[in-house]
Amino acid sequence: MEDIITVEHLSKSYGNLKAVEDFSFSVKKGTVFGLLGANGAGKSTTIECVLGTKKADWGVVSVLGMDPNVNRKELFEQVGVQFQEAHYQENIKVNELCEVTASLYKSSADYKQLLTNFGIPDKGGTLVRELSGGQKQRLFIVLALIPNPKVVFLDELTTGLDARARRDVWQILIRLKADGLTILLTSHFMDEVEILCDVICILKMGKLVFYGTVTEAINQSPHDKFEDAYLWFTDERSAYNESL
Amino acid sequence: MKAYKTIIKTELKLSLRGMDMLIFAVIMPLAVLIILGIIYGNKPAFDGSDYTFIQQSFGALASISICAGGVMGLPLVVSDYRSKQILKRFKVTPIGPFTILIAEVTIYFLYSLISLLTLFAVARVFFGFEMQGSLLQFILGWILVMVSMFSIGMMVGGIAKNTKVAGIIASILYFPMLIFSGATLPYEVMPITMQKFVDILPLTQGIKILKSATLDLPMNNVVLPIIVMVAIAIICSFVAIRFFRWE
Repeated sequence: MEDIITVEHLSKSYGNLKAVEDFSFSVKKGTVFGLLGANGAGKSTTIECVLGTKKADWGVVSVLGMDPNVNRKELFEQVGVQFQEAHYQENIKVNELCEVTASLYKSSADYKQLLTNFGIPDKGGTLVRELSGGQKQRLFIVLALIPNPKVVFLDELTTGLDARARRDVWQILIRLKADGLTILLTSHFMDEVEILCDVICILKMGKLVFYGTVTEAINQSPHDKFEDAYLWFTDERSAYNESL
Repeated sequence: MKAYKTIIKTELKLSLRGMDMLIFAVIMPLAVLIILGIIYGNKPAFDGSDYTFIQQSFGALASISICAGGVMGLPLVVSDYRSKQILKRFKVTPIGPFTILIAEVTIYFLYSLISLLTLFAVARVFFGFEMQGSLLQFILGWILVMVSMFSIGMMVGGIAKNTKVAGIIASILYFPMLIFSGATLPYEVMPITMQKFVDILPLTQGIKILKSATLDLPMNNVVLPIIVMVAIAIICSFVAIRFFRWE
């Protein structure tokens, strides 16, 4: 299968802090890749370096066979990005934000259909800031899908969603994946990762500590549940046990 | 082009929803015009002058909205869109963040144009205003003042650390210029010492160009103001482009 994203020897420091150190991975077409790790482990920095919004100190990045720093215009016709925080104008309405987003691409999906698919069809005239947390999160996934992308980056995909909404989002992503969409996501919910991700990387303080499938992660750890295995890899076992 | 048009349409709606630019860039200049008109009517600017007080003030009034958009509107919107990471979001689209900045400049240009047209219509209909000088010269001067003021705004918005700092700098630039550059309080009614003092404000120089064009005064009086405006435009644009912070 064709590699959609390849990253080789990515390193990025902020002053003395090594945010990401010699990180290599690749994402195959039509798969879901999960980037895991505690807050500050280097997930967002990795995504930003892959997208070219941050400049890596070292390393080679290729997305859809293009260098995000060189073929920006061409590449971002085919890439959807959902950021961790909401980046929108103060008094903008849902329809307006979708319309502007659609206008940025040569071809775009019907955003009204996407809003319907994500269960917020009647929110077009609402101010974005007046949406609930879950509705906002769904809107931001819609925005990432508007370009009819070949690959999407979803940062903390379902944070703020209730149980029902999370499952709805999963179903939609599974369908999109079946249609050939490649997805790179970060998440703090291990149930979600188990259901969605074909391959995962676990980062700990900027370093890769695990790269493989969920099953392999469980097998390499002394545990039989993925969440326990994840915590074992990130070395938060003691804190985890104390909290129990 | 499709993106630019959609962004303009949406940003204009957002701006009108906010109301502040409509008030400061369109309604306020008209209000000052009407007040000056009521006080001075069609009276000559001074005894024996061959132009009216309103003719003398027209250029100044036309600069109010340029000043509001350039040193208040632009810095605030640019720093706000940076801190909300809207510029960053545009970075991961084919369009890039430059387009939204151009759209904002276009919007403040439109406010200035609407202000100029409404001022002209009201001054003409109610106070018998006529342009004595060349319209072309006036428009060229008006564009020069706008480029100069907008470049100050882009510089402040582009390099201010955050929205709060941008707001403070914008206020420091906007209010003194609004009150003391002759834009609202006529330069001519100020004492000579005060005039010398307010001459250091960039907009004071800009207004001299517009006044001279309106009244058909000799151009050699405004050589210095033109040089000042061009220099500000070049220096501030350079700083804005060289040091612009996208995030």
